[in-house]
Amino acid sequence: MRFSVCINQVPDVSAPSQVRDGQLILDAGRVVLDAYAASAVEAALVLQEAHGGDVEVVLIGAQKASETIRKALAMGADSGVHLLVSEDAALDSRSVTALLADHYRASSPDVILAGKQSQDTDAGLVGGMLAEALGRPYVTNAVGLVQEGDGLVVTRQGDKGQEIIGLPTPCVVTCSNDMNDPRIPKLKNIMASKKKPVETREVSPSAPSLRTVAYEMPPAREPGQTVPGEPAEAAHELVRLLQDEARAL
Amino acid sequence: MPTILTTIPVSDGQPSRTALEALTRARQLATEHGWTCAAVALAPDASVVSDTLGRYGAQTVYAVSDATFAEPLNAPVVDALETVIREAGPEIVVFPSSEGVKDALGALAERLNAPALPDVASFSMSDSTVEAVRPVMAAKFRARVQAETSSDSPVLVSVRAGSYAAEESPVTPEVIDVALATDASSLRQTLRDVVRSAGGAVDLSEAQVVVAAGRGVRDEAGKALVEELADVTGAAIGASRAVVELGLFPATAQIGQTGKVVAPDLYFAVGISGAIQHVAGMTGSRTIVAINKDADAPIFDVATYGIVGDLHQVLPPLIEAIRDAKA
Repeated sequence: MRFSVCINQVPDVSAPSQVRDGQLILDAGRVVLDAYAASAVEAALVLQEAHGGDVEVVLIGAQKASETIRKALAMGADSGVHLLVSEDAALDSRSVTALLADHYRASSPDVILAGKQSQDTDAGLVGGMLAEALGRPYVTNAVGLVQEGDGLVVTRQGDKGQEIIGLPTPCVVTCSNDMNDPRIPKLKNIMASKKKPVETREVSPSAPSLRTVAYEMPPAREPGQTVPGEPAEAAHELVRLLQDEARAL
Repeated sequence: MPTILTTIPVSDGQPSRTALEALTRARQLATEHGWTCAAVALAPDASVVSDTLGRYGAQTVYAVSDATFAEPLNAPVVDALETVIREAGPEIVVFPSSEGVKDALGALAERLNAPALPDVASFSMSDSTVEAVRPVMAAKFRARVQAETSSDSPVLVSVRAGSYAAEESPVTPEVIDVALATDASSLRQTLRDVVRSAGGAVDLSEAQVVVAAGRGVRDEAGKALVEELADVTGAAIGASRAVVELGLFPATAQIGQTGKVVAPDLYFAVGISGAIQHVAGMTGSRTIVAINKDADAPIFDVATYGIVGDLHQVLPPLIEAIRDAKA
């Protein structure tokens, strides 16, 4: 099967960051392959190792995001496509979907994989949007993926439990990071990745449909208190506080 | 009159509490602006929830009854919502942010060419602008995001659990039956099975009290203490990603950026260090109790009350004290 994985570069959420005058100030040096996208790459590689096929990765981003394509190639993907946008491009789920859909209308892989959401925005819309734009059946929030004949059997984490869904190809699946542990590339694979083909195409995203007015800190919680004492003593004092002060019991 | 439409997922014949929270917010905005408050219920027999939806202020209930809704597949949900939205012509469509809704929202937005504001902590509207506050960067920050309503398409907004309190505001709803246009035999996906989690007695997203276990709960003895604390407090059981991976708790119990978002009255974090990915899913809780043997654990930064100690020593007297207090 021909797999294509939508990957993205995101700010490292554990890196220092702050809000100043409604703007998000990030450490430009701390960017990573999105963790959900990394699980999607891993899922494609596992199926390729078991059944053969080809794994392409597709990324929308500015020039410096090409390092994230190299990361996915070092994990084992065969080729990359860089849909190049300017440094200050304002993207949202719809403009990302439109660019990806244009690419996939031409290349038409059997299986399109993506992260279930992006680590920075947590929006989680692109997978479903892309499937609809391409007229493909899809499953989101996959925690398990098996190839069965010409199709896939996807286990998704639903509200009440795990839903096991048979899906024909061509299709779209979005992956949870609970699906697998993405491999860490070995040095020889990092070296080999430099020889793998990456096609770069300049693209112009459409105007976003959403407007971010400002970023702000979440409402601060009241400072808490440590309940001191030996376990039995602290437990009794905690129950008193929960009853008399917090009125939570 | 402009309309705000709330989508109501139904399970076991009941709307979820988070759906009623979303409906309450929609009803408040409808009252404030003189709009119509409508709801759409998808269920094998959707008429069973119309009284409840009326009690929470839905003036019109679109009831889409079809056997396919007993199965969690996205295609019929997208088709049904498209049909109702084209009929009702709402300016805004509100959803509770469940896994089922997340599965359908993107495709629906694309089909309707509609802007979508997913997983918001709050939202409001003025004239043609919908403004929402969305947690981003693992809930370290919030983004204030706007979308415009238009005559062509509504704005779609999904609301995180616990963002609003469900409040009754009874009316007698007009019930409009809508047929599902999807032919079940044309579905390209097939549901093979649903493996239901053997979770606790109380549903996590519905619970007023949550007892959540983290890496400190590393064995069956620790798990038994967590279950006993949940039992005496009438709590649902949650878990951090670490203990779900250990296999001690089911994936449906996972709370955090990749799991469920909860905002109960009282949250016990037992042996949870407080990684931002976990805190993202529980920071809206009213009172947070943290029990952890590491005094420097970041969970103490968000806790209302903290006890520094080993959970095996702290939980037995705590369970006893709560039992005494409730007796």
